[in-house]
Amino acid sequence: MTIVTVSDSASRAEGEGPGAPKSPAAELHRIRFAAVVRYYPVFLIFLIWEILSRLDLLDPMFMPPLEDVARTFYQEVFVTHELLHHIGVSFMRAGAGLGLAAVAGIGAGVLMGRVRVIESFLDPLISALFPTPKLALFPLMMIFLGIGDASKIGLIFLGCFFPIVINTYTGVKNVDKFFIWNALTKGASQRQLIWHVVLPAALPIVFAGLRVATSTAFLLIVASELIAANDGLGYLIMFAERSFDPALMWSGILVIAGMGFAVDRLLLALGGRLFVWQDNNK
Amino acid sequence: MTSAAITHPDAAAVHVDVRRISQRFSSGRGRDLLALDRVDLQAHRGEFVSIVGPSGCGKSTLLYIIAGLLRSSDGEVLVDGKPIVGPDPDRGLVLQNSSIFPWRTVAENVAFGPQMRGVAESERRSLVARYLDMVGLSKFANFYPRELSGGMKQRIAIAQMLACGPSVFLMDEPFGALDSLSREVLQDQLLQLWERDRKTVLFVTHSIDEAVLLSDRIVVMSPLPGRVKEVVRVDLPRPRQETRTLPEFGRLRGHIWSAIRQETMEVIG
Repeated sequence: MTIVTVSDSASRAEGEGPGAPKSPAAELHRIRFAAVVRYYPVFLIFLIWEILSRLDLLDPMFMPPLEDVARTFYQEVFVTHELLHHIGVSFMRAGAGLGLAAVAGIGAGVLMGRVRVIESFLDPLISALFPTPKLALFPLMMIFLGIGDASKIGLIFLGCFFPIVINTYTGVKNVDKFFIWNALTKGASQRQLIWHVVLPAALPIVFAGLRVATSTAFLLIVASELIAANDGLGYLIMFAERSFDPALMWSGILVIAGMGFAVDRLLLALGGRLFVWQDNNK
Repeated sequence: MTSAAITHPDAAAVHVDVRRISQRFSSGRGRDLLALDRVDLQAHRGEFVSIVGPSGCGKSTLLYIIAGLLRSSDGEVLVDGKPIVGPDPDRGLVLQNSSIFPWRTVAENVAFGPQMRGVAESERRSLVARYLDMVGLSKFANFYPRELSGGMKQRIAIAQMLACGPSVFLMDEPFGALDSLSREVLQDQLLQLWERDRKTVLFVTHSIDEAVLLSDRIVVMSPLPGRVKEVVRVDLPRPRQETRTLPEFGRLRGHIWSAIRQETMEVIG
């Protein structure tokens, strides 16, 4: 399994080419330029959006001019700091849910992959629960955990736990028998076997699970805040829609989209660094 | 050349003693497959013993049992007179396909065993330097295995084993996946290494040439069920660098081939 997509490795290869500039500043400039070129369709859509609103072809109640959205964004971030508060709250909830799910999911996945009794107990449970849309459990979570942070963190935990535990279990189960045998004949204890062989060997697949879980966390944080919350980006979007403030609504949408994109890129970069040892030509 | 002489008169020097090992695998549908049938084998301290036979004769299974990685259905393995209870760094293992860890650099791979038994960082570094030098790969200390050729990976696997200081080398077709040139180079290197330290080696191969070139004795196995068919003593002079051209080499080779030809034909055909 490769984490780095084809286009990623291609853009990296470009940077290492013989024509690559020498100075770091020039290199940074080049990367920025390359990013703009690569994502030109996004900028093109923004441009069309702006032109269409200027020509009065878009209903400002749905699609206000991009300039208004930018102004609102600036206001909310640098003057009132409102937006920062909502971003912080959403990030905290998503991060807490994801973090707990990572710890529990990796732990349970390793145990399932290594201990037969735990595997035969958890496997049917996970197979049965995995296809359930976790959002359907949100009302239940609110009954148990209230409408505050706890129910949202709980929901995100549930949603993220499954992709992480399933990938970890798969990864651990598929560790090459000969790696394990090699380690055992070199004197590794069971604990050392897990830390020094099973986990590093399974890590690329675990990491792919984490990436899926991260996008799930973003989905669930917005959905749960849309349903019931007093703050957070989902709440902000819903609040703006109800108070006929389309510019604010679009600020919220673009921020959440940008956050999702940034976090995913960050994970990709981290994966590329963690898995330099991988043979991508295999 | 003496045939079928399994027990050695000098029993005190027996290092690895395989006693009536049988291995049954359940193949589903209630029928068991007898992979090994009462196999006896003795390797003396400092002896190079090869195990040859067609595929399906259980030679690799036998080696994994001696390594302590598989539990035999019957019989026991003694090392220095004591029954083995599981894998142990004293019985080093080198496998056919590179089982070195791709997420560790060459140096980290060689340091694996010492790291597991808690050897200090500085001492580990000198061990790594020594064994990498021994296999001629000092320049590649910071490379990842994916950047190395198949032959280099197997040399790393050997260095990794050496760093654990084993008294027995268990080698499962270590050069089986290499091209013939790399194979000959590694055979020579292994011989040099062995002639210097004289460790006990159990070497599984399906190449009769390789077995004759390297060994003091060759255990010839036949398949279904896996049995010891014959034990052949190789009295060719050492060092063996020029051995391939001796008439005795060809004679031994022909003898072993005729011993397993019938079964090999059946397995393949």
